[in-house]
Amino acid sequence: MSVEWYLVVSALVFCIGAGGILVRRNPLVILLCLELMLNAGNLALVAFARAHGNQDGHIFALVVMVVAACEVAVGLGLIVAIYRRRLPIDVDELRELQG
Amino acid sequence: MSLQTYGWLVLLFPLAGTVLIALSWRLPSKLHGYLGTLAIALSFVSALGALSELRDRGAEERQVVTVAWDYASTVGVDAQLSLLLDPLSVFMALVVSGVSALIHLYSVSYMDSDRGYTRFFAYLNYFVFSMLLLVLAGNFFFLIVGWAFVGAASYLLISFWYRRTTATAAGIKAFVINVVGDVGLVLGTYFIFKQTGSLDFLKAFGGAEEIARGDGDLVAGCLLLLVGAFAKSAQVPLHTWLPDAMEGPTPVSALIHAATMVTAGVYLIARMHPFFEQAPVAADVGAILGCATLLIAATIGLVVTDLKRVIAYSTMSQIGYMVMGVCSAAYAAGLFHLMTHAFFKALLFMAAGSVIAAMAGEQNLDRMGGFRRAMPFTFGCMVIGGLALAGVPPFAGFFSKDEIISLVIAREDWHVVLGILGFAGSFLTAVYTWRMIFRAFFNEPVEQARELERGHLYHAPEHTNPATGEVEDTDVGFPGPEHHIAEREWSMKLAMGLLAVGAIVGGGLQVPEVTSELHNFLEPTFHDSRFYEELEPSGTMTWGGLALGALLALGGIALAYRLWVQDRARPAAIRARFAAVHRFLFNKWYFDELIDTLVVRPFAWCGRFARDVFERVVINGLVVGGPAGAVRAGSAAVRAVQSGFLRYYAALLLVGVTGLGLYFLLAAS
Repeated sequence: MSVEWYLVVSALVFCIGAGGILVRRNPLVILLCLELMLNAGNLALVAFARAHGNQDGHIFALVVMVVAACEVAVGLGLIVAIYRRRLPIDVDELRELQG
Repeated sequence: MSLQTYGWLVLLFPLAGTVLIALSWRLPSKLHGYLGTLAIALSFVSALGALSELRDRGAEERQVVTVAWDYASTVGVDAQLSLLLDPLSVFMALVVSGVSALIHLYSVSYMDSDRGYTRFFAYLNYFVFSMLLLVLAGNFFFLIVGWAFVGAASYLLISFWYRRTTATAAGIKAFVINVVGDVGLVLGTYFIFKQTGSLDFLKAFGGAEEIARGDGDLVAGCLLLLVGAFAKSAQVPLHTWLPDAMEGPTPVSALIHAATMVTAGVYLIARMHPFFEQAPVAADVGAILGCATLLIAATIGLVVTDLKRVIAYSTMSQIGYMVMGVCSAAYAAGLFHLMTHAFFKALLFMAAGSVIAAMAGEQNLDRMGGFRRAMPFTFGCMVIGGLALAGVPPFAGFFSKDEIISLVIAREDWHVVLGILGFAGSFLTAVYTWRMIFRAFFNEPVEQARELERGHLYHAPEHTNPATGEVEDTDVGFPGPEHHIAEREWSMKLAMGLLAVGAIVGGGLQVPEVTSELHNFLEPTFHDSRFYEELEPSGTMTWGGLALGALLALGGIALAYRLWVQDRARPAAIRARFAAVHRFLFNKWYFDELIDTLVVRPFAWCGRFARDVFERVVINGLVVGGPAGAVRAGSAAVRAVQSGFLRYYAALLLVGVTGLGLYFLLAAS
C-alpha cells in the first residue's frame, strides 16, 4: 500500500481535529480534537518512516506522544481548576485575557 | 599701594559688604547698616587712593589696565577680568562711592524700623558693587556684566516693598525697559567688535580712528549703544520707568534713580567717545533726543503733584543736559554736571524723604505746606539743593549747566538751537523746583507741620500706599511703622550736611577762566578726541551765558514765588484756562499710552496669536498631535484583534499556517 493512502487518512483526521477546535466550545472536546490533530501528525510521521525504511519518524512519533501526554495533563488540570472555581466550561465565555 | 591694588580694593569692599551682610542676617540688624556704610566708605577711601596714585603719574601713563585673570583668550575675543583705571573711571568711582557712602549713612536711620533692614543693605551694597564694576570695567564683557547687574539691583530695590503691587509692577517695568537697553548694548558691542576686532576698550578705541567717518556699521553700533544708554539713563522714549521707580524707598531713589545708576548712560557715551566722534550721525541723534528729554521732562515736572516724582522728572531733565553735552563733545562739562547733579539731587531726595517721613508716608504736594518752621534743617537742605538745581550762582549747578549750554552753542550750526532750548529748560527747571519747595515749605502749615512744631511727629492712623491709598501692613515687605526725619537723626543730618556742602562748593572745580580742574584731570581719557581741546566758547558767550543762566534761574524762582506763594489762586486759573495742555502734561505726554499702543499691545497680540494659533493648532494639533493620533489609531486597530476568543485565535493560526504552507508549496513547484 503506497504512502498516499496513509497521508490522506492523516489529512482527514487532521482536518476533523481542526474543524472540531473551530466549532466546539467545550474545552474538553477541544482537547480531544487537539489530540486528533497530534495523532494525525504521528500517523504521517510513521507512514513516511515506513516509506523511507528509516526509524527516525518512529522516534519523532514517540516524542510527540510524550508531549501530547504532558499537554493533556496540563489541559485537564486547567479544566478541573476552571470547574472547581465554578466558571463556565465554555471557551467563548472565558475571554478575560484580551488586550 | 599701587594704583592697580586700589582699583581692586574699590570693587572688593562693596562685594565683601554684600556677602557679609547677606550671610550674617541673624545678627542684630542695626549692625548691618553700619557694616554696609563702612564697606562703601572704605571703597571711597580706596578710590581716593587711586586718585592720588593717578595724579602722581605723568599724563601719558594715566591709562592703566589691570587684569586679574583670563576667562578665555582667542583671536580678538579676550575675555579677561580687567579693569581700566583712567581719569574717567576713577572720577566715576569717586562720585559713585562717595555719594553712595553718604546715602548708606542716611539709610542707617531712615530705614531703621523697616523689617527688611538687612536685605536693604545687602541690596544696596550689591548695587554699589555693580555700579563700580560698570565704571571700572576694562572691556566690553565686564561693562555688560556690570550693566546687567545694575539693572537687577535696580529691580530688587524698586520692588523692595514687595507686597505693594504698585512697587512690584514698577520694578518689572524698570527691569523690562532696562533689558531692552541691555540688548541694545550687546548688539552695539557686536558691531564695534566687527569694526575694530577687539573687545578691550583701549584696543578698540585705538582701532576707531582707522574706521571711515560715518561708516554704516559704526553708526548702527553707536545707535545701539545709545539705546542702551537711553534705557539706563531714562531718556525719551525709554524713560517711562524712572517716575514709576519712585515706588522704591527714598534712599534708593536718591542713590540709584538720581545720583548714580541713571548716569551710567552718560558715562557710556563719554567712554565710547572715539566711536561717537567717528559716527557723528549717532552723536547728533543723541544730542537731539537729550535736548528733547530735558524739555519734555521739565514740562511734566511743572504739573506733577507727587513730591518724589517732581524730583524724578527733574532728574530726567538734568540727565538730558548731560546727554546733550556728551553727545555734543562737551565731555568734561557733561561729567561735571553729572558730579554736581549727584550732590544736589541726592540732597533733594534726602530732604524729600525727610518731608515724606514727617507726612507719615504721604507724597502728594497738594496735602503739604508750611514745613518751613517745623523742619528748619530739611528746609535749608532743600533750599540749597533747589538753588543748585535751578542754577543760581554760586551753587554747583550754575557752573555745570551753563558750561554744557555754552559748549553746545560753541559747536555752532544747529547745535545753537539745542543750546537755546537748554536755556529754556533751565528756566523751567527753576520754576518746577521752586514750585515744589514753595508748596511743601511755605504758606499755612498743614496739620502734620503744626504737630511737628509742637514737638510730636505725626503718625497716620493707618499705613496706606501713597500711590493708591490702600491700607497696608507694616510687616516684612512694607515700610516700617516708624518714620525718621533729618532733624532728629544725626546720621541723616550728617549725610545731608556733607552733600549740601558739595552742592554749594562743587562748582568750584570748573569756574570759567578761573579753574578747570576737572577738564585737566580728565584730559588723558579724552586725549584722542578731536573736540576736547578745540571746543572753547567765546568770551562773550561764556559770560553772557552765565549771566543769562543766572537771570533765568532767578526769574524762574520769582515766577514760582509769585504763583505759589503770593497769588495762589492763579495756578488754578491758569490750569482751567489751558485745561487741554494741563491734561496733556499731567498724563506725561501720553508716553505710557503710546508705548502701550505701539509696543505692548502688538506684542501681547502676537503672544495671543502664538498661543491660540501656533501653539494650539500647529504645535499641539499637528506636530505633537499628528504622530500621537497615528499611534493611537494604529494601536486601536491592533487592540481590536485581541478579542479574547480562543477559537478566533485558532482560526487565525490555521488560516495563517495554511496560507504559509500553500505559499511555500506554490513557490517550490
